Amino acid sequence: MTDIRRNNEIALFQGVDWGTVVLYVLITFMGFAAVFSASYVEDAQDMFSFDHYYIKHLFWMGVAYFIGLIILLLDRSFWHKWAYILYPLSLLVLCLTFIPGLGKEVNGAKAWIEVAGFTLQPMEIAKVGVSLAVARMMSNYGFTVQRFGDVVKVLLLLLVPLLIAVVQNDTGSGIVFCSFLFMFYREGLDHWICVPVIFFVALLILSFLLTPFVLLVALLLIFTFCAGMLMRDRWKVCVKYVAVLLFVSTLLFLLLGSVAPKKFNFYDCLLYTTMASMIVVVVYAYRANIRKLYFLVLIFFVSVICLPTSDMMFRHLRAHQQDRIRTFLGLHHDKDLLYNVTQSKIAIGSGGFSGQGYLEGVMVRYGRVPERHTDFIFCTVGEELGFIGVAVLFTLLAMLILRIMRMGDRQLDTFGRVYCYCVASILLFHCFINIGMTMGVVPIMGIPLPLISYGGSSMLGFSILIFIAIALDASPIKRQSSLNKW
Amino acid sequence: MSNPRNDKWRPIVLRWIVILAFLFLGISAGYLQLVEGNEYFDRAERNVIRYITTYPPRGEVFDRNGEYLIQNRICYDLMVIPVETSKQGLDTLRLSQITGASVASLKRAFKDARATGRIASPVAKYLTAEAKLKLDEWNLQGFYTVPRTVRQYPRNIGGNLLGSLREVSREFLEHKNEDNYYIAGDYYGEQGIESAYEEELRGEKGRVRRNIYADHASTDEVEKEAVPGKNLVCTIDARLQAFAEELMEGKVGSVVAIEPSTGEILVMASSPTFDPNELVIGRDRGNNYMRLLNEPRRPLYNRAVTSSQPPGSTFKLLNGLIGLQEGVLSPHNRYTCNKGYRSGSVKMGCHEHRSPLDLDYAIATSCNAYFANVFRNILENKKYKSPKEGYEVWRNYAESFGFGTRLGVDILGERKGVVKHRDYYDKTYRRSWNALTVLSVSIGQGEIQSTSLQLANFAATIANRGYYYTPHIIKQIQGQDSIDIKYRTPHYTPVDKRHFETIIKGMWRGVNRDGTCQLAKLEGYDVCGKTGTAQNPQGDDHSTFISFAPRNNPKIAIAVYVEHGVWGATAAVPIASLIEEMYLTDTITRPWLVEHVKNLELDYYKAYDRHKKK
Repeated sequence: MTDIRRNNEIALFQGVDWGTVVLYVLITFMGFAAVFSASYVEDAQDMFSFDHYYIKHLFWMGVAYFIGLIILLLDRSFWHKWAYILYPLSLLVLCLTFIPGLGKEVNGAKAWIEVAGFTLQPMEIAKVGVSLAVARMMSNYGFTVQRFGDVVKVLLLLLVPLLIAVVQNDTGSGIVFCSFLFMFYREGLDHWICVPVIFFVALLILSFLLTPFVLLVALLLIFTFCAGMLMRDRWKVCVKYVAVLLFVSTLLFLLLGSVAPKKFNFYDCLLYTTMASMIVVVVYAYRANIRKLYFLVLIFFVSVICLPTSDMMFRHLRAHQQDRIRTFLGLHHDKDLLYNVTQSKIAIGSGGFSGQGYLEGVMVRYGRVPERHTDFIFCTVGEELGFIGVAVLFTLLAMLILRIMRMGDRQLDTFGRVYCYCVASILLFHCFINIGMTMGVVPIMGIPLPLISYGGSSMLGFSILIFIAIALDASPIKRQSSLNKW
Repeated sequence: MSNPRNDKWRPIVLRWIVILAFLFLGISAGYLQLVEGNEYFDRAERNVIRYITTYPPRGEVFDRNGEYLIQNRICYDLMVIPVETSKQGLDTLRLSQITGASVASLKRAFKDARATGRIASPVAKYLTAEAKLKLDEWNLQGFYTVPRTVRQYPRNIGGNLLGSLREVSREFLEHKNEDNYYIAGDYYGEQGIESAYEEELRGEKGRVRRNIYADHASTDEVEKEAVPGKNLVCTIDARLQAFAEELMEGKVGSVVAIEPSTGEILVMASSPTFDPNELVIGRDRGNNYMRLLNEPRRPLYNRAVTSSQPPGSTFKLLNGLIGLQEGVLSPHNRYTCNKGYRSGSVKMGCHEHRSPLDLDYAIATSCNAYFANVFRNILENKKYKSPKEGYEVWRNYAESFGFGTRLGVDILGERKGVVKHRDYYDKTYRRSWNALTVLSVSIGQGEIQSTSLQLANFAATIANRGYYYTPHIIKQIQGQDSIDIKYRTPHYTPVDKRHFETIIKGMWRGVNRDGTCQLAKLEGYDVCGKTGTAQNPQGDDHSTFISFAPRNNPKIAIAVYVEHGVWGATAAVPIASLIEEMYLTDTITRPWLVEHVKNLELDYYKAYDRHKKK
């Protein structure tokens, strides 16, 4: 014990996972290269002026490295002790955005504060406080994910910043916390709770790729199949149900078609009939005494209602109301953004296998890609470095996340493990949504690409998140046999 | 409940979720970049880069003395960018007064332009410098003028020789645009020199790469400078050409004059012709073109190379040369002519002259009977098994003089003329034919046709005593040391030089002593010549004359073909003689002859004008 302590005092960085640090540095370097390419001006006289995004980015990188160094020097118990203090502090900082004069609106989101010439997005840094608080709570003695009450407590912790984000009109950033499901699963969440959540996420993504009609038919078939599974030997009823549904909706379609031609399409009729049939199904479930069917009907009902594109109510709303609802859900779907996605796809696609060459991507060069140094930074990589660069970036990011997960797995206490998985969840969510949206495979949410996108707050936020994980991993406590002492 | 720390499976499941998530992204990126990559690359280029074509000035054309034949002139197109025009509306009436375009057409142009919004479109084309200055003064918002070059022809001559420019048509772009040089809206040379030296004259288009930024600002990089077209010096003597066209006015036919020692074409006048300025790209081109196209006498047609007619008696010289070379004729051979030639049922008339007569006099007086005998002797030569083989030998001689083949002149559309092959007669007469069957060929009638260019070339060959250079119109191309080698290589005929002297003696006599073309005599220049009168079924006989001068060291060889010009001596001889005089002495000493030529009233009604719709 004394030996170890002495060694620790001498070797400050003993136990640090250097692999992760190297990955981190490589990714930030790649990020700087991308930001430089996206924001440098040819033949500029003031190459090193602070007006350039890349110089600012370099500055923030330096700050992040410095803070990372300090974090590695701090004792791990610091984070455990301060978790519950940092959380309300984070919320406070988040609320600063509401103070007029201090808060600043960017792209319609009131999620920024301006201090001494620097514009910060508190949410990026608040993630640290939230993750620490969640880890602290879940590492409490006797906490178990199986107990509903315990989970609700954690959810409340997440709900507060999420609500603030919604009020800030920046739902996209708040939705990040949904990714904690990833961590919950690691902590032993029941598989069956994951299923509907994953189902909704899949539905959300599919709603962008499929037409509402196909989606509705698919939903109908899937749920009928599930109902059949639940009722085991009553397949005939299900088949009859679908057949009657189709018949009635066809009848309705023909009827309405003769009354008011061209006003209703088959999709509407099917939707009306299906919704109406829910009453019949509920009555049937009550009579047959199949409780599980209620649950199924509920999920089905919600999934049909929630899908903005498949909701017939939604289509009858006015445009600005639709936009408001979409924004509330964290989805932007207006024309400008569609244009953005098209341009970003062109940029990435034009890179081909080996790219157009560093600093030579025409789409990025001539400003055709919107937000090219922040949210759409991936276009720069895709266009200039091509598939090779993209593959390298993906490998680095995936390795970083996997490494952080591994660090979590080898932690001996719950605090460290939960924290590491929180970090991994956030990183995965950010990477997947950000890269996916630039390629048009997931809906657009204005969130940055970790460590690559320009932006001081996100650079600092992610660096702190990762370095705390490294610091926790490096701690000698990890190697001690006694656990959960505090 | 077990401690999650010891869970073995969930970390593996989660690890795979991470890997699958990135694989999904990787596949998406791969699909975008590797499968659809090329398409996106094109779209990216189109998105930000516009290639703008810059046009070089077309090469100009000079005559042999350095006088402009085709000159460039600057005119202006009025362009409009609809989004930049003022909202208050436009004074179309004033604009119409300045540009000369009708109000209706201006309004139509604006409507079309508005469809493209931000892109400049032409409103009025081919404005004069004066109109441009007025527009500059007015300084209309959203309008500007761009300079363009159009052609002009200071001498107003040689419409069908020089050719003209026209805009490329859709068919042209689809079928004739082999090197993909042209795009819609480009001009190309049609006919004549413009067409024959298109590649030299057009130059090379330049390309400017315009990078367009998101805020519509743009920067230009010149990727390729436009290379101006090469200037040409052509062999035409503009003054002589103008004089020839003046003399040919009102007649149908052509004049070709060649410098024998080089093959350079001094004059190539085809009549009727037109003022090339009528076909300059501009508002009136379409109408003028249609009018010229529909005229029954076909002024667009360059008769000198595209019209082949029976050469008539001028062809007797060839038969004389072949006879001498084959040894079946000697200068002292005498044949009788009793107002024609008779052999069995074959009869060929002749005019009144002394008889019997020798070669000299036969050429000078153009005796049909004499050359019928000569031609028969060539074909019925004992050396050959049959007259058919003799005919083949004769045909080879004719071809060596350029008859029945394309000479390869650098003007498009050259015709071969007609010298029938033996196969043709074998087929037509089912192998039973002899010298008498084809006897009309001996005097250049029947199944024989040649272009004026071939006749002029024939005259040049005689003048050179046995060889010719391929006639050509190009003298010098800017930036090139010499013209194509094919115009600098002599073509020798199989006939010996001494036989030419014999024939030339006859030609000299015909002009200077007692022949058919004494009108062509020029004191001190020893003009040699031979008339021809070709019968034809459509109307009066065609009048033709070939000549060269001086006899020794010839400077000019000329062929004149006047359709329906009656006798060779009526129209063709004076025209040729005047042109020779003009060329050799720079003066006209016989104004009465010029008057005579100009006042000739020839009857074209039967051949052309009866088709004309009233």
